[in-house]
Amino acid sequence: MDVDVRADGRTLNQLRPLTCSRNLLNRAHGDTTVLAAVFGPKAGTKKGENPEKASIEVIWKPKTGQIGRREKEYEMILRQTLQSICLLTVHPNTTTSIIVQVIGDNGALLSCAINASCVALVDAGIPLKHLAVAICCGLTVGGHVILDPTVLEEQKLKAVLHLVFPNPPLSIHHKTQSLMKDEPIEHGIITSVTQGVMSVPDYEHCLERGRIACTKISEFVRRNLQSLAREGLAKAT
Amino acid sequence: MMSTKGYKPESGLAAEIEVEAYRRLFPLQYYECHLAESVRPDSRALGRARDTTIALGPVPSADGSALVKIGDTTVLAAIKLEVMTPSIDSPDVGSVAVDFQMPPICSPVVRPGRPAEAAPVIAKQLSDVIMSSGMINLKELSLISGKAAWMAYLDIYCLNADGSLFDAALLSATAAFSHLQIPLVSLNDDGKLITVSEEVKDKAAVEPVNKENRKLTIAVVPFSLTCIVHGKYILADPTSEEESVMDTHVTVVLDSKERLVSLYKAGGAVLLHTSVVKDCIVLAKQRVEELSEILRESLSAMEVD
Amino acid sequence: MVHRIPLRGTRQRRTIRQKELQYSWRWQLEHWVPIHHRKAWNGDINNRKGQIFKKLIGLDLMVGISISADLPFSGQVLQALHQVQHMLSLARPRFGPRESKKAMLYSDVGRLNCHVTYTTFSTPIRGQGFDNKEYSSMLHKALEGAIILETFPKTTVDIFALVLESGGGDLPVIISCASLAIADAGIMMYDLVSAVSLSCFGKNMVIDPTSEEEACQDGSLMITYMPSRNEVTQFTLTGEWSTAKINEAMELCLDACSKLADILRSCLKENASELTS
Repeated sequence: MDVDVRADGRTLNQLRPLTCSRNLLNRAHGDTTVLAAVFGPKAGTKKGENPEKASIEVIWKPKTGQIGRREKEYEMILRQTLQSICLLTVHPNTTTSIIVQVIGDNGALLSCAINASCVALVDAGIPLKHLAVAICCGLTVGGHVILDPTVLEEQKLKAVLHLVFPNPPLSIHHKTQSLMKDEPIEHGIITSVTQGVMSVPDYEHCLERGRIACTKISEFVRRNLQSLAREGLAKAT
Repeated sequence: MMSTKGYKPESGLAAEIEVEAYRRLFPLQYYECHLAESVRPDSRALGRARDTTIALGPVPSADGSALVKIGDTTVLAAIKLEVMTPSIDSPDVGSVAVDFQMPPICSPVVRPGRPAEAAPVIAKQLSDVIMSSGMINLKELSLISGKAAWMAYLDIYCLNADGSLFDAALLSATAAFSHLQIPLVSLNDDGKLITVSEEVKDKAAVEPVNKENRKLTIAVVPFSLTCIVHGKYILADPTSEEESVMDTHVTVVLDSKERLVSLYKAGGAVLLHTSVVKDCIVLAKQRVEELSEILRESLSAMEVD
Repeated sequence: MVHRIPLRGTRQRRTIRQKELQYSWRWQLEHWVPIHHRKAWNGDINNRKGQIFKKLIGLDLMVGISISADLPFSGQVLQALHQVQHMLSLARPRFGPRESKKAMLYSDVGRLNCHVTYTTFSTPIRGQGFDNKEYSSMLHKALEGAIILETFPKTTVDIFALVLESGGGDLPVIISCASLAIADAGIMMYDLVSAVSLSCFGKNMVIDPTSEEEACQDGSLMITYMPSRNEVTQFTLTGEWSTAKINEAMELCLDACSKLADILRSCLKENASELTS
């Protein structure tokens, strides 16, 4: 595990090729494939939800079998992550459903699902504060950080981290929402889910590496969204 | 409301209406008034956790049990051991099944027939933390290699949900495992394992399989602290009211060797910056010391009894 | 002298000393006196919601009041009858009185909803946590007559009982515990309901039976009683009984009920004084 080249010929820092297709929203990290669909906003919220805000509902469909505890956990993480990037006050008293269908799982499933649903939300035109970009990091026994591990690699890892970072809007009215004036918005963490024991400096190291990798992913996402937006404009006119 | 005495709203609506009404109508502003004074409505400092107590052995029929109270949050954990045949892949390890239940008794939010959404998620996180922290050596749960091993069912019931459920659940789980007394078993004539009761133990007619090793050695103990981040404030060990008003929760699990077992933050209104993460970890470190002291005290008190 | 009683349903035979059987109820009644009190939770002054832990021989009572702003009527009672019947149960009227469901017809009196649930570790062999429908309806019937339902028209009170450990005589503990919880929650009642059960074995009677004793009993009797009004809210009788024995058993149970009610009352008082001080 601690050599420079991984089983599939990648370096430690290398991501698997990303693909993203919209309208048939299909987002893949190599062979981990997730289909995310957004429905809504529909009128009304569930009982117990705040009617002054929009409510977000995530339905996780595993590739095979019944929905278990792991899927329940993913549903909740996904919902809370998406809730934090959506402008919930724009459509009060509505429910937006996100249905996540897993097509292939070969590691970094949660990160892939977060990225997919985020793009799906953009495609559906749900108002967002900023994009969320997710990355899966792994920590080898030797203390190396690898990005975007496969299932085989995940089993050998000491710890697996799913990190979600914000990608701020590139608008002229750039107003930092950060409450910490000394740190830019890019340095914030939306979601952090870890599994396995690691030292605190290792975690910080993972954060750093993950953040750098996320800029690459967000570039990809933006490029993809922009090209599709242009296509959409061309069609409309 | 002791803490509100010091705070006198100067102007606006806050000065006109009753404190309790203000608390209900403008919960966030109510909390912000307090936070500005570096105090919480229950007169705690921001970084202070609530009083925590551990009672070991509240369920005598279980093999290990613990009742944990963090403030008003009450959690009962009980472990029952059953003999099982280990899988062929891993002949000399036992296994642990963790379940977390939130019966309707614990909170007005939970209705009968509609189980709480948070319960399976907390159960999953608990079993992840317990298994990945290396707290329990599963080999110690083995009885006869390839033939018999213990299956430990850890069932955790939340009796009163008042915030920081995961912290209380994890503490009760570790306390129950520390309290766990493995029953004596012996092979009968048919080659089946039967439990040996305490009375017949001395009568040497049956030779127990596991004479030693009646307690699990718990190498590292994971402890957790949930914090709420609200702007520049970090509130340790939130109550359910605080959890509902402010929605950026960070749960830090550190073990007794100060390694990070889990850092869980799912969404939330505020982006967490690295400096805030560090602050939360510092708070968690203090809490680990507090909790390990409380756990040690309750364990030594049990030995005296 | 050894008296043998066949254990029903199993081939095992169980030995119970006759003397123990005869005197067990008396022994228990005599020892139903508090011997020492201690606070289980060493909370400081800020922690006003402290719990009282009363250790009695054969009876542990724990009343914890958690009246918070969100739960105007929430009370929580933890009652444990250790040693005698290894049983721990918890009841809490919650969220109530709350508005009845819209679908329900208007009613001048309040409604009562009872749920009795067992934990997975309550039974000797770990099972599934389950709802006990029979006990739920029995609990409902036992309490219906004691609660002044006229005080909360159109609304519903939910009572949840969670059996943490079951060791026989579950239902009386659930009922006493629930009535304590209702009183604790400030819901109007005519009187506290205390419940006691009794098993008979031939000529002998055992008050407050354990599950082993229940397994080999010939008949059982349970009384739920309001001592101050001298009223019985529920009376259950199963098995073979002669009229004379029923009378004797009832006397025993009623006596035990009023003693239990005293303990429940003092427990509540202590908790209330704890809260006000």
